[in-house]
Amino acid sequence: MNTKISSDFKPDAVVVGGGIAGLQSALDMADQDLKVLVVERNASIGGHMIALSKVFPTLDCASCITTPKMSAAAHHENIQILTNTEVQAIESGDGVHRVKLLQKPTYVNFDKCIGCRLCEYACDTEFRDRFEEGLGAVRAIAVPFTNAIPQKAVLDAEHCLTCGTCARVCPTDAIEFDQKPRRLTIETQAVIVASGFELNSVTLKPQYNAARSQNVIAPMTLERLLAPHGPYGRVLRPSDGKIPGSVAFVQCAGSRDESIGVSYCSRVCCMYAIKQAMLLSGALPLADITIYYMDIRAFGKGYEQFFQNAKAMGINFVRGKVARIDPLQGGDLRLHVETTEDAENPMQERVHDLVVLAQGMIPGWNPAQISPVACATDGFVATPSLTAPTATTAPGIFTAGTAAGPKDIVDTIAEAGAAAMQACQYLYQKREAALVG
Amino acid sequence: MSTQNEFREEPGCEVEQDDPARSEAQIAAGQRAAVAPNSSTYGSDDAALKIGVYICRCGGNISDVVDVEQVAETVKLIPGVATAKVHTFVCSDPGQHTISDDILKENLDRVVVASCSPFLHEQTFRGAVARGGLNPYLYEHVNIREQASWAHKHDPAGATSKAIRMIAAAIGKLRHAVPLEQIKLPNHRRALVIGGGIAGLKAASDLAARGIRVLLVEKSGELGGHLNERGRVYPSEQDAAKLVAELAQRVNRDARIEVRLSSQIKAVSGFIGNFKVQVESESALPSEVTAGAIIVATGFRCYQPQENEFLYRMDPCVLTLPDFIQLMRSTPDSARHLTVNGRAVNNIAFLHCVGSRQLDGVHEPQTDGRLNTYCSRTCCTTILQQALAVRRRFNKTGVYSFYQDIRTYGRGEENYYIEASKAGVVFFRYNGEEPPKAEATPREHARRGALSITVKDTLTWNEELTVPVDLLVLGTGMIPGDIADLIEQMKLATGEDGFLQEVHPKLRPVEVAVNGVLLAGTAQGPMNIQETLSAAGAAAAKAAAMFAKEEVELNPFVAEVDQDACCGEAQCVTQCVYEGALRLVTREVNGELVERAEVNAGLCVGCGACVAVCPQRAIQLNGWRLDQFDAMVDGIADGVPGQNCAQELVQIG
Repeated sequence: MNTKISSDFKPDAVVVGGGIAGLQSALDMADQDLKVLVVERNASIGGHMIALSKVFPTLDCASCITTPKMSAAAHHENIQILTNTEVQAIESGDGVHRVKLLQKPTYVNFDKCIGCRLCEYACDTEFRDRFEEGLGAVRAIAVPFTNAIPQKAVLDAEHCLTCGTCARVCPTDAIEFDQKPRRLTIETQAVIVASGFELNSVTLKPQYNAARSQNVIAPMTLERLLAPHGPYGRVLRPSDGKIPGSVAFVQCAGSRDESIGVSYCSRVCCMYAIKQAMLLSGALPLADITIYYMDIRAFGKGYEQFFQNAKAMGINFVRGKVARIDPLQGGDLRLHVETTEDAENPMQERVHDLVVLAQGMIPGWNPAQISPVACATDGFVATPSLTAPTATTAPGIFTAGTAAGPKDIVDTIAEAGAAAMQACQYLYQKREAALVG
Repeated sequence: MSTQNEFREEPGCEVEQDDPARSEAQIAAGQRAAVAPNSSTYGSDDAALKIGVYICRCGGNISDVVDVEQVAETVKLIPGVATAKVHTFVCSDPGQHTISDDILKENLDRVVVASCSPFLHEQTFRGAVARGGLNPYLYEHVNIREQASWAHKHDPAGATSKAIRMIAAAIGKLRHAVPLEQIKLPNHRRALVIGGGIAGLKAASDLAARGIRVLLVEKSGELGGHLNERGRVYPSEQDAAKLVAELAQRVNRDARIEVRLSSQIKAVSGFIGNFKVQVESESALPSEVTAGAIIVATGFRCYQPQENEFLYRMDPCVLTLPDFIQLMRSTPDSARHLTVNGRAVNNIAFLHCVGSRQLDGVHEPQTDGRLNTYCSRTCCTTILQQALAVRRRFNKTGVYSFYQDIRTYGRGEENYYIEASKAGVVFFRYNGEEPPKAEATPREHARRGALSITVKDTLTWNEELTVPVDLLVLGTGMIPGDIADLIEQMKLATGEDGFLQEVHPKLRPVEVAVNGVLLAGTAQGPMNIQETLSAAGAAAAKAAAMFAKEEVELNPFVAEVDQDACCGEAQCVTQCVYEGALRLVTREVNGELVERAEVNAGLCVGCGACVAVCPQRAIQLNGWRLDQFDAMVDGIADGVPGQNCAQELVQIG
């Protein structure tokens, strides 16, 4: 995969994004004998899902579900994958989409790299590992993570000291310090925008003081702490490595809040908080775990039962809005909570060791200015069709997953199948029309 | 030829010392032995085999409990094992590469992966084995996660020992394995869609637009299902009728789709690529149709409250949500208020979660004894949509919502909550264990309202409040469709909630255990319209992918009859529970006509019931032959030669 793609390559469809939505729609098209190019801006496909610990409501390990899809896409004869590549523009006309790509330099020749990681072992420069949410360190040249695809080393130019050690140890002379960004244009008939989501910042609400305390963390940080192959192999709080005895989840910390411009529900936070609470109570049987919430939105198949199980396990659910979080000396946190259920004591102050802020989902990519795809007022891709929920405003361009609004994995996968089907019938009908005409 | 005893007494790797020329002959001999029933429990070809064993850490899911390094070191001692390696995620691309590379470089001829459940990754690793150029059925999958590390979390030594034994069993089984080929069957390029609601319409039109012929069977006299009874759909606020008309028109206009209304499925037989379905129509004679795939889009039923549940059917001022939508639709635009039972409606209560999110000990079970513990997903937004519509049409009417959690989760749905709040809808929040109570107001107070709703309101610190209203709308949700016959005919599985059960919510979300049968929409569980359309599209995508191939490919684990040994006693035929999978055929043997059992590979599911009853041992399951079972039992009992496992076994108990 990866480097052999030239401008002559004409896939039937281009999928923007190699997360679970993009991979599933690529697979569902490729299985219908269409040639698909998947474009991923990161160094590995797999998206957010590959970084999760376990997934609700089955508590399957996330890697176990994601890696087979990653691997199936990587090995599919009808799928090509370009990583480290950004879509800069989509120009559409005469039924053809010209997808303009920028392939970022990796400073490693992927045709030569065999993924032996000798460069990584030899490199002396370490910096915070983004995959581990900054909790672990990564070398300036490294294979992105254990189950990354492709298993090729990527050099981080921002941190590299160009000492040349990697080039000296590389058995295949794959290191190329002089690599330049490469631009290419791919012509295709159909596009699926599966560009996913980002999370808004934990520092968005200053009253929660995430900027002042390392122990006010993002949910993805807790995912890595809970992952069996995570940075510490167990749950420790970031400031001092203490095993937390009391953990709070503050829900709707980045959603359903007009003051931060996100009035919609991010749809997954209730469930992942419940999941993380369950995993925490497994990892730390003595810990008190409290979820502060407005409404528990356990709407999917098996979700309500999952919520009821969590209650039965002794996880505390407190309906109330957290007004403020004060960092205390020693790293603990004081939460000011307004509850509606305790008449004696409606305004409470509660101290926890670790606080997880449920961030909101925001769009991962904005195609509005650089392609014919329009976005709705919420910033996500607009899907105006009543009967084809995966069709965008542009003919021949479809969307799947969280690019079109917050969604859990189950709904994302279904939608990816639907988008693939929509693209396939679009292409089939075009071909049929061409034959008739 | 070594015997079983020699195998036990002479442990260690003799692989390298063996003469390669002899080895080849031994493989051949071993394979012949494996084909023959009742061959000795251990093959004599251990030295010739080159087995690769791959042990997965599964991040830490396995290695936190099972000492995987020790497992690898120990299984290396089993004769025939050429390599044993540990990997963090064998299912990852590098993990899979290791397998295919080793097959090529080290000429492995058998592969074992000890990892998670075969349900997750057996297919993944068969693929990796095939990429290495080896027959994918010379592969065994050992589940040391669910069955060792997770089951014996507090006994690492025991879990490790168990993992070793399980791998030893798989190696034993592999010794007798022969290459198998997938069964290829003709693929009838037509889909049957059962149900003409929006899920069925969408799946049918998607497939037809892809050039695939479809037969759509609908039991009622019209297309569109429940959507015909809805006013406007959220969040677009477009007319539901428009959506139905658009889809129905597409279906009716497409020559590739045949629609049969007022028709039902009477019987289903056959298998993927070649289902035979009896369709009975009111207007026509029953007929048999052939379809390669079946999409089940049978939808849901609206929950009907039980007699007296919140005064339902006892008081005319209590309506279900669908009834209320009808009331809103039938009330003329000129009306200044809604009218129920001849009275003007000045105050309305909407009660959420009626028939959904039921709790044991709080709610009466349904007639089948089941509690609807699930959330119906669509009622919150529908209620708020209606509540907002009431406030906008009749601004003097008071609207009260009694809820547990407002679940306006979908895109554009939260706005209904925000707008309803702004429009003056009043919210009361009840605890699921203490649902509100509805009472008819005594006649003398009836001026204030026909009903009074009493709630312990958790928004005001559990204060008990009573609200007089003229109309109570029960926010009834979805229950499974009435498809018991279809479930029986097609051998479908249902979940605890009574809805049809998919194989896996993420890996195979629209597939069921029966190959070639797909789920679309609310037959699978509550969904809103967009989710239903997406699910239908996903089901269509899977069907279209299936039809992209000329032939259907099935796993080869089916029964096979040894025609020389079979006496035609037909005990197997009597035992077989899968209609048509086994039958007696008349053959000519030495000039005589005799009866012999014959397997239909498409219908056989490989359950093995026939194998157990054959007095001649003339019928065996490919991939699970009796000698393989014997070898597995020996592997479990003996573990690794020289490792003193017998004693451990006693300890494990």
